[in-house]
Amino acid sequence: MSSAQAGLKRAHYKDARLPALLLLPQLVILLLFFFIPSLRALTQAFLLSDPFGNTVHFVGFDNFRQLFESANYHESMKVTVVFTLAQNVLTIFVAMVLAFASDRIIRGRGVYRAIILLPYAIAPVVAGILWAFLFNPSVGPIAHLLHGMGIAWDPNRIGSDAMLLVVLAASWKHVCYDYIFLLAGLLAIPSSLLEAAAVDGAGPLRRFFTVGLPLLGPTLFFLAVMNFVYGFFEIFAIIDAVTRGGPAGATNVLVFKVYVDGFINLDLGSSAAQSVVLMIFALFMTLLQFRYVERKVSYDV
Amino acid sequence: MNRTRRTLTTAALCCAMLLGASSPAAAQPVEVQWWHAMGGALGERVDELVKNFNASQTKYVVVATNKGNYDEVINGTIAAYRAKRAPQIVQIYERGFMTMMLSEATMPVQDLLDQRGYKVAWGDFVKPVAGFYSYKGKLMTMPFNSSSPILWYNKSHFEKAGFAKPAETWQELEQQLYAIKQKGVSSCASVLAGDYHWSLFENYSAINDLPYATKANGYQGLDTEFVYNKTTVVSQVGRISKWIKDGVMEIAGQGLSPEQLFTSGKCSTFFASTAAHSSVERTAKFDWSATYLPWEQGKTPKNSTIGGASLWVMKGHKPQEYEAVAAFLDYLAKPETQLWWHKVTGYVPLTNKAYQLAKEEGYYKDHPTREIAIMQLNRGTPTANSTGFHFGNFTQTMMVQREEAEQVFAGKKEPQAAMDDAVKRSNEILRQYEKLNKGKY
Repeated sequence: MSSAQAGLKRAHYKDARLPALLLLPQLVILLLFFFIPSLRALTQAFLLSDPFGNTVHFVGFDNFRQLFESANYHESMKVTVVFTLAQNVLTIFVAMVLAFASDRIIRGRGVYRAIILLPYAIAPVVAGILWAFLFNPSVGPIAHLLHGMGIAWDPNRIGSDAMLLVVLAASWKHVCYDYIFLLAGLLAIPSSLLEAAAVDGAGPLRRFFTVGLPLLGPTLFFLAVMNFVYGFFEIFAIIDAVTRGGPAGATNVLVFKVYVDGFINLDLGSSAAQSVVLMIFALFMTLLQFRYVERKVSYDV
Repeated sequence: MNRTRRTLTTAALCCAMLLGASSPAAAQPVEVQWWHAMGGALGERVDELVKNFNASQTKYVVVATNKGNYDEVINGTIAAYRAKRAPQIVQIYERGFMTMMLSEATMPVQDLLDQRGYKVAWGDFVKPVAGFYSYKGKLMTMPFNSSSPILWYNKSHFEKAGFAKPAETWQELEQQLYAIKQKGVSSCASVLAGDYHWSLFENYSAINDLPYATKANGYQGLDTEFVYNKTTVVSQVGRISKWIKDGVMEIAGQGLSPEQLFTSGKCSTFFASTAAHSSVERTAKFDWSATYLPWEQGKTPKNSTIGGASLWVMKGHKPQEYEAVAAFLDYLAKPETQLWWHKVTGYVPLTNKAYQLAKEEGYYKDHPTREIAIMQLNRGTPTANSTGFHFGNFTQTMMVQREEAEQVFAGKKEPQAAMDDAVKRSNEILRQYEKLNKGKY
């Protein structure tokens, strides 16, 4: 922000009280729903405590040490990374194909877009149940189709099937988000560049790979970061509805593990330690986004 | 202005005096809160139960609120307790026994009622029920909805396969299930229940008189250690896994309840709680029946253990509220209440008296399967292996066990290796609990 802009903004408020007042609701919300819970998680992470809080031992870094020594936690990290990467690649790829295609559609473009955007309006739990049901080996129509094709599909037993299922469900839910940004990005590419390439004899695919894709770079980077955030923090409901972390922990991603350890197993210390680790990761992602993305992504698109 | 104010003051004073005078005269009933986990049809029964109690006297009012499932109720209670807003009574799953008892947030139910002069026949409680919820011979919590797993089966499937009924032992039953599948009677000879750890591992151990953990399954000390990796639980995991791999047993998975697969007539058998009676009776449109859980060949079966939940009394409330709590719990313990609850829900009668009443009125003549669980619970004298389980962090160790068993189902681990890992991981969890609660048990 240039100093001229800063001066301009400051000039709007002669008095500090009004802006403070306007900020207050947001600050209160942050305090209640972010700062206080975070502080409590931070203190709980260093305690071994009875869930009711009547017996509390300070254990230093024990919770963290146990966490990092636990093969189970390593497995959960691995699962999260695999899930997030797979979801990221699949979502961006599909969104890109759809955006590219809709950029070329002339008739019924509005309908086409509306249909693609629909999954975003569906609650994650509903989406999860839908996918779980369609692919249920006992009653699911798609599972029956797969069985008919001789594929021994069973996400209730086979970890990789379950992983594939949650990746599909999560990606389906998130494709629309990436699609909007990519479509906007494609529209923002100056047509003069594309026309020049066309005149030089480049076909649509060539034009896309040599002109469109490079210009979409910042958008893609931004989306990759957002997809990571989605994959790490926002897929709780889908996991809960589709697999509940199973079978045998095959889809037990970190956020779901925090929930299970905290709210089902009542192991508050470990759950808090896990939240702290996730919080540090979230901070890191935010910094990454501010440092690199904010500078390069133009919101003018 | 001045006059208005005086009028207002007078009016306010009058009101205050009226209020003050009227409340003792009208004798406002003492209200107590009860948080429970009974949804749907069971929730309606709870409402009916509370309504009946409230109508039976005028001094107390119990307000029952459904706070979601068992996990949500215990979490809600913890949060409320920390905020000093806990209800007087909470319904907590049996697995939470140690957590609740050593939390210092609850008070022993037997003392509460004895001190207030209620003559509850504590000795009359069905042994595995009392055994599970007692510490040093006293009931810590009021047994409420108790069940035990039984074997549900589709009669016509068995008949078509040429069997009169399911066999008594796992070995023979296995042959029957494979026959059902191979003869094409049903593609799904059995379906894995959601709480299979309870019926197929825990109750399996009790019935076959196998130690689950040292120190009498945790009854004699917090330094208990799981030992089910040294018993036939290992081969049981292998057996279930084999069934699943051979397509004899199905896993319902998310979005579908295993019970539906049985009640729809698809699957031939279902190892699950007797509490399923209310829904099986309502939805199953075929000739079904139930029998005891199987046992290992050559064994004399012992009693099974219970599952379900009990009512805990929370600390930190007013004396008159505890009067109300005691009156309500006493009402619950009455044989008539027990009998009614047993009949309308499918849970077992908790006292022998209630069981006798049901027998005397011929209830089991029309509902023979409803007697199975109670007969199974009353079978023989409970041993240290079949009285129950007193483990801290019991939900957590159960989740570990399930995870390891699922590794076997997925073909990733051998049963022995999986159960060894389960025991190793669970024992670490038990040590955490021991460290936290040292000297309290």
